[in-house]
Amino acid sequence: MSQIEMPSVQRKSEDSIRSLRHVDFRPMKVLYNNDYSNNYIHSNSYPQKHVTNIENTVEGYPKLQKLFKEKSRQIANYATKPYGCKVDIDEMIPTLNKWIQNDKLSFDVVMIGCLTDNQLIYPLLTQLPLDKLISKPGFLFIWASVHKINELSKLLNNEIWAKKFRRSEELIFVPIDKNSPFYPGLDVDDSSVLEKMQWHCWMCITGTVRRSTDGHLIHCNVDTDLTIETKETCNSAVPSHLYKIAENFSTATRRLHIIPARTGFETPVRLRPGWVIMSPDILMNNFRPKKYKSDIAKIGYNVPLKNEIEILRPKSPVSK
Amino acid sequence: MQKIDITILKFLLDYNVQLIRPPLSGQLKDIFLIFEKELNSNYTLASDGNCSYDHLTFETFVGIIHEINRLTNNAITLTDPLLVQYDKNKSVVSHIDTFSLKILYDMLTNTNREKQKQKQKHKEKHKEKATDYGPTSISLTDNLLKLLNGNENCMDPETHCDEAHDMLLFEVPLKKNLYSRLERILKEEPISYLLNKERARHSVEKFKYFPICHNREHSHLLSQCVYISNNKIVSIQWSKLNKFNKVSQQNKHHIFLQCIQTHIHYIPNLKPQTDLSLGDCSYLDTCHKLNSCRYLHYLQYIPETLNESVEKQSKIYNSREINNLMFYTHGLCCAYSNKLLLPPQWIRCDVRNFDFTILGKFSAVIADPAWNIHMNLPYGTCNDIELLELPLGELQIEGILFLWVTGRAIELGKESLSKWGYEVINEVSWIKTNQLGRTIVTGRTGHWLNHSKEHLLVGVKGNPQWLNKHIDIDIIVSTTRETSRKPDELYGIIERLVGQHARKLEIFGRDHNIRPGWFTVGNQLTGTCIHEMDVRKKYEKWIKSTTAAATIS
Repeated sequence: MSQIEMPSVQRKSEDSIRSLRHVDFRPMKVLYNNDYSNNYIHSNSYPQKHVTNIENTVEGYPKLQKLFKEKSRQIANYATKPYGCKVDIDEMIPTLNKWIQNDKLSFDVVMIGCLTDNQLIYPLLTQLPLDKLISKPGFLFIWASVHKINELSKLLNNEIWAKKFRRSEELIFVPIDKNSPFYPGLDVDDSSVLEKMQWHCWMCITGTVRRSTDGHLIHCNVDTDLTIETKETCNSAVPSHLYKIAENFSTATRRLHIIPARTGFETPVRLRPGWVIMSPDILMNNFRPKKYKSDIAKIGYNVPLKNEIEILRPKSPVSK
Repeated sequence: MQKIDITILKFLLDYNVQLIRPPLSGQLKDIFLIFEKELNSNYTLASDGNCSYDHLTFETFVGIIHEINRLTNNAITLTDPLLVQYDKNKSVVSHIDTFSLKILYDMLTNTNREKQKQKQKHKEKHKEKATDYGPTSISLTDNLLKLLNGNENCMDPETHCDEAHDMLLFEVPLKKNLYSRLERILKEEPISYLLNKERARHSVEKFKYFPICHNREHSHLLSQCVYISNNKIVSIQWSKLNKFNKVSQQNKHHIFLQCIQTHIHYIPNLKPQTDLSLGDCSYLDTCHKLNSCRYLHYLQYIPETLNESVEKQSKIYNSREINNLMFYTHGLCCAYSNKLLLPPQWIRCDVRNFDFTILGKFSAVIADPAWNIHMNLPYGTCNDIELLELPLGELQIEGILFLWVTGRAIELGKESLSKWGYEVINEVSWIKTNQLGRTIVTGRTGHWLNHSKEHLLVGVKGNPQWLNKHIDIDIIVSTTRETSRKPDELYGIIERLVGQHARKLEIFGRDHNIRPGWFTVGNQLTGTCIHEMDVRKKYEKWIKSTTAAATIS
């Protein structure tokens, strides 16, 4: 059998050689860049789908890959156990006030909002004694729809607020396509002229930190201001990357996330180590201020410095 | 309920898809006729066997449909329930909710004995659930439905009563279906958006497009077959390609070859100094030290034959689609396909003291000012104040303005727009990519975080009804080029929005910004070129008056 088959295989490969001779592999002389917006019109394939490093953003950069690995290991080593605080939206402000006044709790990283519409962020921002809840220096992240962030800018630009919280970066999150659970859909206003495909976040800093000298408090330039939905971000109201950005930036261990919205059963709010998450839809209700305080006392207020990370992380050039 | 009702139910369930699709398209009269025919050809019920019926009229058929709807909370969606009362022949079924029909059907067909058996089963499953949270699929969905109904008592299997269970089994899915249907309706895009997209597909020129290969092995193999000289690919050795043919499996190789002939490949440009352990260069093709940099660089490889075939394809598509457009097409100007674009026009001037009234009105304006923002100042610098004072409000009666902003200028930009009479209605993000199509993650491109994107504010003035909305999305993915040069994709987006032949202006433009159909002003342009007669006359008059004023003073 094999003897009979052999020549046919050989003939086949000879055929392919012959066909190869006729294929012209000459390279094109000019460089070409695809126009993904034009391609979207004709193929309905979203431009962001063509970004080549979505699943592994630091692909091709071994140093950065190592840094991310080291950072996440160090952060995990110094994280409180995951805490959830299940309260109704109306009860949020009284609960937080109680934490501040009775339990003397404060946090260094506070994230407000998630990737859903109908969030009641404005009353939260105006009624909460935020400067007491957030220690100095502290970091505030506000996630909402583009429309809502625009509305909030009136509040956040007023002088009293702007003095307390300096707006430092604007982050965005981009869903991969229309089938994504994070597709913003038709917003409340139908005046928009382009289809909306992003969520925005304001990153505010309170107190003073300097990126050149405060390496024990902040690690700058580790993450970028853009997140594209990956395969693992599915089925949760809060993509884990939103937490990672805050964790990689600030070394603080006291982190609070407030979600002033119902997220529903389809997109549950999951717990995360190192975070206290307050939401009407959080999967567990296990937060006790005293227990939390003793947890924090054990691990300390900041993730300690680690040599490997210090060598790898981007730093400001030393002034001569 | 009579047997006939169950038969209709079964019929609707069995053929729910076919009934709504063309050629029947849900015409109730036709559905009835088909049903009648089915009856005569001994349409059988799975559980009851053969049934024969007396004369069934259309009226009773419609009556039964209504009865089913009453029981299932409108599982069969009729386009106009009012119409059914007056002109029964013309009512159309637009949707059949099989889920609730199935429940009704099950309830009606199951004998008492079976029912009890089922209940027993459910009870057992609930007991199981109380002790073990294993994946008992049916009871899990039951529980979810109960949760959705918000009835917490039902969570407890002990207090759970059978009648309530029956109620739930019947009502909750209906409620849930109603919610999901409502959600679907709310999420539905207006037909005008779909129409705009469809028209764009037929009227917008298709550019060449090459997919990018993501297979690392391919680029590795190619790097061994390629002859590179002076950082350019000179040739590909097919004999080596053939060698890989022998090494790798026949069909695998075939895919490899096919991929080369259809995709863009980025081939490692290996040099004596290249240290593979360092990884890729942050600058890649824009690296200034190509001949000494130890990081890995790449060269783009597209076979000339692929380029030619793609070019041919898009040419054929463009000539076929665009030439076949109607003289009047909704959303486009008339004679769209044979109307010529105005050649590029530009004026070199200092934007700060330019008389914008010379230019007339525009449908769309782009401005890319060089913002001069200092992080430690509470307000913008002198430049920004000057920018705020530009009379940009005069350029449009109604129309759309695109303003590029960075960092703190986002807020200043929003303020400026509202001062000029615009409302911010969109924010476009330009996702900046490098040669390999990756986002920019290295270097210290931002103060606190690295910057992988830039913002473009979109402001609307007045109530421009003529905009073709929602053709594009608010994301641009495009490679970075020279410092502060913005992606050309924006021109296409704007042209689709306001029309290719509408008047369009770019302020603070440079030589690479001039293009047909656009007017560009800026102080870095070379010379001035105006084709519109009225604008040219006004411009010459203005130049005369300013030079006269200069000589007087």
